[in-house]
Amino acid sequence: MKRFLETGNFAITEGAILAGCRFFCGYPITPATELAEAMSKRLPQEGGVYLQAEDECGAMHVCIGASLGGMKAMTATSGPGYILYADPFGWALGCEMPLVVVNSGRVGPVSGITGAPGQGEFYLTRYPTQGGNFECITLAPNSAQEAMAMVVEAFYLAERFRMPITVLGDQLITDGFEDITVPENEDEMKEMGFRTWPRGSCAGPNFYPFTDDLDIPPVQMGSGAGGLCSDWTPTVEGYDIEEVEAHHKHAYRLIYKVRNHRDLFNHLYEKKYMDDDPDLVVVSYGTPSRVVNTAVDKARSLGMKVGALRLINLWPFPDEHFTRKTKYLTVELNWDGQLVREVQRAAPKDAAVHFLGTCGDLPTIPDLLENFEKLLKNQPLERKGWELEAW
Amino acid sequence: MQYSSATLIDKYLRTRKIPSTACSGCGLGINHKVVVQAIDELGLEPNDIIWGTSIGCAGRQTFATWKGDGFAGTHGRVYAIARGLRIALPPEKKIICTVGDGDAFGIGLMHLIHSARSNADMTIIVNDNLGYQSTGGQFGFTTPQGAHTDSSPYGMFEHNLMSEGMDVMHILKGAGATFLARHVAMDGQRAVESVKRAILNPGFSLVHMPYPCPTNFASRELGSRNQVNIYRWIKERAKPLEEADENTVWATGVWHDATGSRPEFSEHVWASVNKIRKTGAL
Ligand SMILES: Cc1ncc(C[n+]2csc(CCOP(=O)(O)OP(=O)(O)O)c2C)c(N)n1
Ligand code: SF4
Repeated sequence: MKRFLETGNFAITEGAILAGCRFFCGYPITPATELAEAMSKRLPQEGGVYLQAEDECGAMHVCIGASLGGMKAMTATSGPGYILYADPFGWALGCEMPLVVVNSGRVGPVSGITGAPGQGEFYLTRYPTQGGNFECITLAPNSAQEAMAMVVEAFYLAERFRMPITVLGDQLITDGFEDITVPENEDEMKEMGFRTWPRGSCAGPNFYPFTDDLDIPPVQMGSGAGGLCSDWTPTVEGYDIEEVEAHHKHAYRLIYKVRNHRDLFNHLYEKKYMDDDPDLVVVSYGTPSRVVNTAVDKARSLGMKVGALRLINLWPFPDEHFTRKTKYLTVELNWDGQLVREVQRAAPKDAAVHFLGTCGDLPTIPDLLENFEKLLKNQPLERKGWELEAW
Repeated sequence: MQYSSATLIDKYLRTRKIPSTACSGCGLGINHKVVVQAIDELGLEPNDIIWGTSIGCAGRQTFATWKGDGFAGTHGRVYAIARGLRIALPPEKKIICTVGDGDAFGIGLMHLIHSARSNADMTIIVNDNLGYQSTGGQFGFTTPQGAHTDSSPYGMFEHNLMSEGMDVMHILKGAGATFLARHVAMDGQRAVESVKRAILNPGFSLVHMPYPCPTNFASRELGSRNQVNIYRWIKERAKPLEEADENTVWATGVWHDATGSRPEFSEHVWASVNKIRKTGAL
């Protein structure tokens, strides 16, 4: 193992390389630029290719092409680029092409604030393209070290599920300097819990079986198997077809290959003080969860019965964590409240679900403690600065 | 050489998609045959070529016709996919893409230019039915000035890539394409020869091939779906480059041949990567 004081971008780069990624195509954008730069330096040293595309739509399509040719590929961006992935994301979902997509969240909408962390793409990573009829898998680390682990995991899941996987970070995770341990060989990777899956090549002739089975290798162009893939609804062999029944079968596969194999990733969460039926469960993901964890420690020391639930696997949403009738508070880096809607949906009807948002800035620990206390005393949440719609 | 379609189909195409569902009298099949004939004359086999397609009539009618591996991109994106694929494929594998004019010169133009810029080895056959035909017949960026379409009921008057001395070929040449040719569907063996040179060029090649669409274009512009009229209409407006005059809309033949003048993209990228890997520098 080697230790570094480095950024999340460094950690993600090393993770991708450990996972077998040998292709990256991107387009400069704060705060994902340094990741592209790190890839441009490291990939050639590992015999891999770094390319820059005309825009993010092109970048992800170029990655699709490399993946279609048998290479493990990754692209990375922030919100304004992630929205331009909409077209290739749909293609990769429909054609079942493994890819890893990193989104380092900043403040939106549009260009917003470029150099500050935001969490405005919680839902966008669930619906990154049009048309529906698919499931998505999103992983959200909260540290540089975990970003490395989740990128390795994303490559693993991308291969087994044959699909693009989003790793959702934010500016603090990708740009912040932290203590990072990098495994140096396969044994060390195993020791750190890193799993990998090799790229295969579908032998056909059934390139698109209408089942929920995993571990079917993707179509590979150039393999000579007569593989077909397109943006149209496929027959089992990959021919384009305009038929409701064939579409239904294809949609079944895209939805249920994920829903029926959640056991592969639904262990990705962290619980703190959750064993004694806390009166308030604070739910978060990504960077805010670090502040939340500290605040919850402090709250416990002050005698408040507060627990923390940190989601790493965001999608498909892990409803199983929200069966208890208690108070929930989501802490998010947005003012509109996104995670809170999903918690409201998943929690029992009579559970009280609250939302605390900030954006560009993390919540402070005193702020969090004050709000925990208010909720525990059944008082309304205090909003700082200006009136917000009550959640 | 006289080719029977049946022989070419047997050797190269999947019978499931041939005959296609194109309208009767559509010229797309002629362009398609020109490409397959060129492949045959070069002695290439189905597994030597990966066939990419766009959407639209040109894309959908040719998707999954090739016996070997085939892919289709969303509208305009096949050039970017092909660029990434080029990196992953061994150099001896060819990429041929049959696409529409709206796909290449409209929505996909930026990706197309960047594939030309990088001189990625691929042959793009732009099947130009003079507009957006699978959406019912709207004008495109190479529709002749004055043409009546469903979205130019008074005659097409927007500046486009084939008006006032403009030619989309200038853009592609400026971007770095190393082989460019133009042929109308009726050019026969001349078109086949150009497509052969395009395929052989180890770099970015594009052949622009206007063809007759009797159903949409002809019915609006000529008031008739009679295929003879639209074939004649196109033929009258096309002349070999060296005979072209001010009435020529499509000057046909090899427009630009810079084969070998620039390193091919994938070869260049891999050579650079290997050098960095070995020496730590370029
Ligand atoms: C992003 C996107 N925009 C629009 C369409 C609708 N569309 C389908 S086919 C087509 C026509 C494309 O024209 P062209 O490439 O010239 O092909 P043609 O049908 O004329 O052969 C269009 C615009 C689409 N499928 N995707
Ligand atoms: S609409 Fe025109 S271009 Fe399309 S298949 Fe019919 S005749 Fe051919």
